[in-house]
Amino acid sequence: MSERVDLQEFIGAFAVEAEEIVAAANTSLLEIDVAIGQGTVRPRAVRDLFRALHTIKGLAGMIGVEPIVEIAHALETLVRAADGAGGVLDRRAVEVALQGIGAIAERVRAVAERETIDEAPEGLLEAIAEAAARGCAPIAMAPIPPEWHARLSPGERQQLALALQTSDPVWTLSFTPSETNASRGITIASVRARLGAVGEIVKVIPRAIAATAGGQTGVAFDLLIISNATQAVIAEIAATELDGVIAVVAPAAAPGRQITEVMDVTGVGAEPPAPIERDDLPAVGRAVVRVELSRLDELQDQLSLLIVSRFRLEREISSLAELGHDVRRIREVAQIQGRQLRDLRRAILRARMVPVSEVLEPLSLLVRSLARSSQRDVRLELDGCDAELDKAVADRLLPALIHLVRNAVDHAIEPPEHRVASGKPRVGTVRVSCLEVAGNFLEVIVTDDGRGIDRAAIALRAKRPIDDEATLLEVLTSPGFSTREVPTTTSGRGLGMDIVRRITVSDLGGKLSVTTHPGEGTAFTLRVPVTIAVMDVFSFQCGPQSFVVPAVVVEEIFEVLPEMLVVPPNAGTSTISPADRQASKWPRAALALIERRGHAIPIVSLGTLLAIDSGERARKALVIQRNGDRIAFTVDRMIGRQEVVVRAIDDPLVNVPGIAGATDLGDGRPTLVLDLNELGTIARQRGVS
Amino acid sequence: MKRLLIVDDSKLMRDMVAACLRPLGEVAFEFAGTGLEAIERLSLTGFDLVVLDLNMPDVGGLEVIEFVRAQDRSRALPILIVTTRGDDENRTKVLEAGASGFLAKPFAPQQILEEARRLLPSKRAEA
Repeated sequence: MSERVDLQEFIGAFAVEAEEIVAAANTSLLEIDVAIGQGTVRPRAVRDLFRALHTIKGLAGMIGVEPIVEIAHALETLVRAADGAGGVLDRRAVEVALQGIGAIAERVRAVAERETIDEAPEGLLEAIAEAAARGCAPIAMAPIPPEWHARLSPGERQQLALALQTSDPVWTLSFTPSETNASRGITIASVRARLGAVGEIVKVIPRAIAATAGGQTGVAFDLLIISNATQAVIAEIAATELDGVIAVVAPAAAPGRQITEVMDVTGVGAEPPAPIERDDLPAVGRAVVRVELSRLDELQDQLSLLIVSRFRLEREISSLAELGHDVRRIREVAQIQGRQLRDLRRAILRARMVPVSEVLEPLSLLVRSLARSSQRDVRLELDGCDAELDKAVADRLLPALIHLVRNAVDHAIEPPEHRVASGKPRVGTVRVSCLEVAGNFLEVIVTDDGRGIDRAAIALRAKRPIDDEATLLEVLTSPGFSTREVPTTTSGRGLGMDIVRRITVSDLGGKLSVTTHPGEGTAFTLRVPVTIAVMDVFSFQCGPQSFVVPAVVVEEIFEVLPEMLVVPPNAGTSTISPADRQASKWPRAALALIERRGHAIPIVSLGTLLAIDSGERARKALVIQRNGDRIAFTVDRMIGRQEVVVRAIDDPLVNVPGIAGATDLGDGRPTLVLDLNELGTIARQRGVS
Repeated sequence: MKRLLIVDDSKLMRDMVAACLRPLGEVAFEFAGTGLEAIERLSLTGFDLVVLDLNMPDVGGLEVIEFVRAQDRSRALPILIVTTRGDDENRTKVLEAGASGFLAKPFAPQQILEEARRLLPSKRAEA
């Protein structure tokens, strides 16, 4: 057995997990930031942040993505110091951490896209190191029960002290794993997760116990938690007796007097807030699996093939019917199958859906960080976003929204003093709202209450009159158009609008529109389909045009050499002549066979079939399997393999057999997606093969 | 059939460790995502080798070693520590606490395979 293991195989999985870790790190940072605003600290969030950075550093190291290792390492040092200081991180440190995690996120994206990974941004590592060296002043800590003091880290002590200080209920309890518990799905992992969902875990300490006859093992876990859940709920989660859940109280503030005893909750003054009903408990351990998006794409590709063969079945049934056969029964089955295929398609699409709110999450962090760096007072409102969106659409849409929100904060929202002077609220508002519209479309509207777009200034710069909003949009989104050189106070929009248009219109097949009112604000509306079909394709050139075919139908691609040709048994005009072979000329529109792995397979010139032959000798051939038979198509030049968004061609006038849809290879021109199966049939009918 | 427990809070890391160790042949892998789960599993079943991460929520690898070594039944259980904190100070601390082996991340697949082979009880010893 080969012992060679290539960790590069895990790159896709790395991108998935790293993205999750980045999201978790951002959530922790947000929590820390909110706490700073309230004048307190969140030691648990600091610990979680530290662990996230540590994990991503380790993973990036294994995969060999040095820039991520470097950034994560620097941040880890910063956050470790904060954890040691009881979880104190100041605003400047949060700011620099935000930048660092942003830089990691960009590189994770590059890994996912198989692009080159940039070095750490200039000055970032230095800025992080500086923040770490500066340190943060520890805040005064309230006293905690002495029996816990020695068992907790500084961060954990701080966490406990804060809870006691603010009279949040703190509890201790024990959980003893056993076969019985395990068979009911109660393990330390489920207990930890469920307690984590109704509160905050401060510490878990394993303790050896004597094994008993009752199937108990030699370990118990002592937990220290902060939770508003009732004693009964906590006891139920940990499968323990009610009196096993004990309230921890703060030692008296008066020095010298220590209250070390713990009190039973019954009779304790502060009644815990509303009890959590059993049904409200998060179903931890619910069956959730993480699936790489490419696997869902694969599923969808296979489904497309199934749909194609179903159409073929339908055709065969029709021709049987034409021949006078009774096809009622078989047609019935085919109809049921058609419905089942539709349901399957819906189920697969559903598996790809993510809540829009999740997609928009990064925006709130972005706005806060932008507002700080551009010294604007801005509030982000997210609205009406319980709709769902295909992950493939979401991933493409987010960069467009980031562009729009960034522009709004940087250029549209006026400085606070200007806003006040013109009678507007000091704090500007950027609002992202969503609306499901008919035909499986979603409208995402990015609105700001800033200065509005100055048409006159734009017209001046574009050297053309702007009479309506459509023209305005056209100018704003023309490649290379920037209002940067126009004084910012009169422009209102920055760079990158062409990207917003490309994503919305070319990539997603949606619509982009704008409305703006001077002095009042601007709204961009992105109307995008809820789902798109993403396909892994081979792209190639044939004559003057490029085409793509779904990679899943291609069995192999090989270099065509004239000596591979074999003369078919019924040799006629269509076969290759020795003279042709000598001249290395490819037989055009000719029936030919080629030898492949010991078999002769028909080979067809795609250029001839599509009547766009360049006369050039085809160099490559794609082999597909068709109803068990192989067939090879020659093409002029392979371009590569890539993922594209495929759009169906709905126009009945362009319903050409052999054309499955259209896509954009990034050059802005439509490229046809070929159905080689169908083309094989056509070739056979025409006798080309 | 040897039983291996791989403990790491990252699923990807667990998968990568398992992929690296697959050439061991006849082994059954079990996984734990936290130190707590590891302790629970170790108290429920016996293993031939534990591959353990240090940095995990609530109960870290070091605490797992300390707990495991304090129990009679697992005093001799081979524990291979795999950690991003590969400095000498940490190595000494971990080995003193009772780890059987120490490997710094990132490691090459061959490295962890060799370590695992070294630590797994040999067939002769079994017989």
